[in-house]
Amino acid sequence: MSRTRSLMAQLRHARGENAPLVPTMPLPRVEAPPARVYVPARETTSTTAAAAAKHTTALLGIGHVGTRYATDVVLQFQAELAVAHSAVAAELPDEWAAQHGFLPLQSQATSHREFLLRPDLGRRLHPDSLARLRKDAQRGPQNGANERTLGAGPDVQLILADGLSAIACMGSGEQLFAATKAACAARGLSVGTPVCAKFARVWLQDEIGAEVGAKVAIILLGERPGLGTGDGLSAYAVYGPKIGNTDGERNMMSNLHARGIAPEEAAPRLAALAAAMIAQGVSGVKLDLTGIGAGGREYRAPQVRERLVVRDA
Amino acid sequence: MNLSATIRGTRLRFASVKEVLAKANAPKSGDDLAGVSARDPVERVAARAVLADLTLRDLRENPVVPYDRDEVTRVVEDGLDARAFAAVGHLTVGQFREWILEPSTTGTMLRSVAAGLTPEMAAAACKLMSNMDLMTVGAKCEVVVRANNTLGLPGRLSSRLQPNHPTDHVPGILASTREGLAYGCGDAVIGLNPATDTPESTAEILRALDDVMQRNEIPTQHCVLSHITVQMKALALGCPMDLMFQSIAGTQGANAAFGISVGLLDEAAAMMKARGSTKGPNQMYFETGQGSALSSQAHHGADQVTIEARAYGLARRYNPFLVNTVVGFIGPEYLEDGPQITRAALEDHFMGKLLGLPMGCDACFTYHASMSQDELESLKVLLAAAGCTYLMSLPVGDDIMLNYQSTSFHDIASVRALLGKSATPEFDAWLDRKGIWVGGKPGPRFGDVGVLQ
Repeated sequence: MSRTRSLMAQLRHARGENAPLVPTMPLPRVEAPPARVYVPARETTSTTAAAAAKHTTALLGIGHVGTRYATDVVLQFQAELAVAHSAVAAELPDEWAAQHGFLPLQSQATSHREFLLRPDLGRRLHPDSLARLRKDAQRGPQNGANERTLGAGPDVQLILADGLSAIACMGSGEQLFAATKAACAARGLSVGTPVCAKFARVWLQDEIGAEVGAKVAIILLGERPGLGTGDGLSAYAVYGPKIGNTDGERNMMSNLHARGIAPEEAAPRLAALAAAMIAQGVSGVKLDLTGIGAGGREYRAPQVRERLVVRDA
Repeated sequence: MNLSATIRGTRLRFASVKEVLAKANAPKSGDDLAGVSARDPVERVAARAVLADLTLRDLRENPVVPYDRDEVTRVVEDGLDARAFAAVGHLTVGQFREWILEPSTTGTMLRSVAAGLTPEMAAAACKLMSNMDLMTVGAKCEVVVRANNTLGLPGRLSSRLQPNHPTDHVPGILASTREGLAYGCGDAVIGLNPATDTPESTAEILRALDDVMQRNEIPTQHCVLSHITVQMKALALGCPMDLMFQSIAGTQGANAAFGISVGLLDEAAAMMKARGSTKGPNQMYFETGQGSALSSQAHHGADQVTIEARAYGLARRYNPFLVNTVVGFIGPEYLEDGPQITRAALEDHFMGKLLGLPMGCDACFTYHASMSQDELESLKVLLAAAGCTYLMSLPVGDDIMLNYQSTSFHDIASVRALLGKSATPEFDAWLDRKGIWVGGKPGPRFGDVGVLQ
């Protein structure tokens, strides 16, 4: 026995306490718990959940175990989180654009991490891409050293881009691009060379649009994913694209995907928006949206919440 | 005023107080983006050593944006309490840090010097403090405010109920509102971020929320967080409005990007005083967040912590009922990951409380920041332990309009149970009466929307 222990033992003995300092507690006998601790079907909760689901996609009426979630809710939540995170982590493969008939462009960001941390780099074209755009894209006639007159090029320059979800870009992005192109053509608007930009932020539309001399630039890019929605796109349109355009000069539509606004519904609205911009010679806060049906300057469609976790019995 | 320090035999010199403040800051991706951060940990500690020996008077005399160029600087300087400043102005930042940590310096004492502190002083102290330092002082500060109920008393943790909806569909907003109330949330405010920024829809939503509160006799406040000019028009339409909201930033230029100025805020606050529907004297609600000035290129070469503190200096002019740092919403280019978001949340809470504000925090992340759900849950416990006045609350923490992850209804109940905290006294009594939260834990009607009409 160590000296310390023997001193402790003496002390205890002197106080007449030979028993251990903390007596062992008798453990209770636990009856087998019921198969389900959490019963979701408490009447008011389930009725309200069903009623609420008609009006909102918020996860309501999910009940609780103490102050925490039931296991099913935890799994649904984690599955939705996984969808969002994998959309953010995905990168647009270098060869994808050319394989799908787009002129491939890249911003000045050179890696995914740099793209996330340096929004300024995502707003400007890489010099190689700028040269490629000048060489291969349909552009208006020059009025000086690489200067284009506004509107000397195509009426609309469409740009597909990864933004914050390459999954959305490669998924419904291609379909939305084709539908928008067709909808513009149906309105008699000329559409420029199809381009697809990697590591792109919204403002990249300014440089691309200005370089080709387009009247309107529309960028379709993967939007910041939400829970369970990694495949959504946003569309931003600007009249008279040029470097230095502000957000107040843009119009946008978000939540463009099968469960929000489907491509066949979004495309005619975007074409109508472009036509209105050209007719009024303005975009953003100053654009009169009366009769366009584009849903306001910042329109976000509702969506449907999918049940992601289905457990085998 | 000395601006150099020697670390392991190497002498490092700094050009200005602003540079010292920036380089002393804990690592933040937003300071890297602005190009103002320390190049390495040695330069950072050298800046902190210089900062520790500057006096509070030095900081007052060297605001990061000059008096004649910025109205936020003027609001702070012109509104500073001379007697409160005189009590502490001679202290160095290092001495001040020790004084506020000292147990004999009580919350009441901190409250009485608050009016003599400039934002730069709060930011400077922050840079010399660890996360647990920030929590220790934050927990001591007591800022009590009153609207329809009383916020900020010791032992309380309140929550904003945030029933956002992608299309402002009123039955959808009310469904989330009822659920949140049934989980004991919403005592700070029932506050909706609208999808459509018009006076008519703002008024319509306020009337709907007011109706729920009246019918169920709920002692709380409501707010629709549209632009302040839109709320002023809504108020002119004659709708109820308990709190008036605006996002604010720490420089005149950044506020201009938000479409506001001191003159406009003065006008709005006067209008609320005349027409607001709250009982108590505190009627304004402000949101802030590190990085907002840089995103509008109006940061004047200062770091984002110091600029954030300056937003609190502006908020103070209006005796707000709520101030809230939306810490992880801005994205990884300003706060990259879990440790940076956690640190920023504790910094903002500390600085706001030290400056005398009822500080809450939207502990949150966007899905492209490197923060896990577990880290976010931990942050909520840290904030509550640090005495944070209120957190947000949403169904499973998921904002279906703004696409980000915040605090859930369940999290509020969990943190209250873990730390023995309760809602505001008025609201807590209502929860007890309804059987929602009884004796510090879930009551028989917890989570049951059937308790509401």
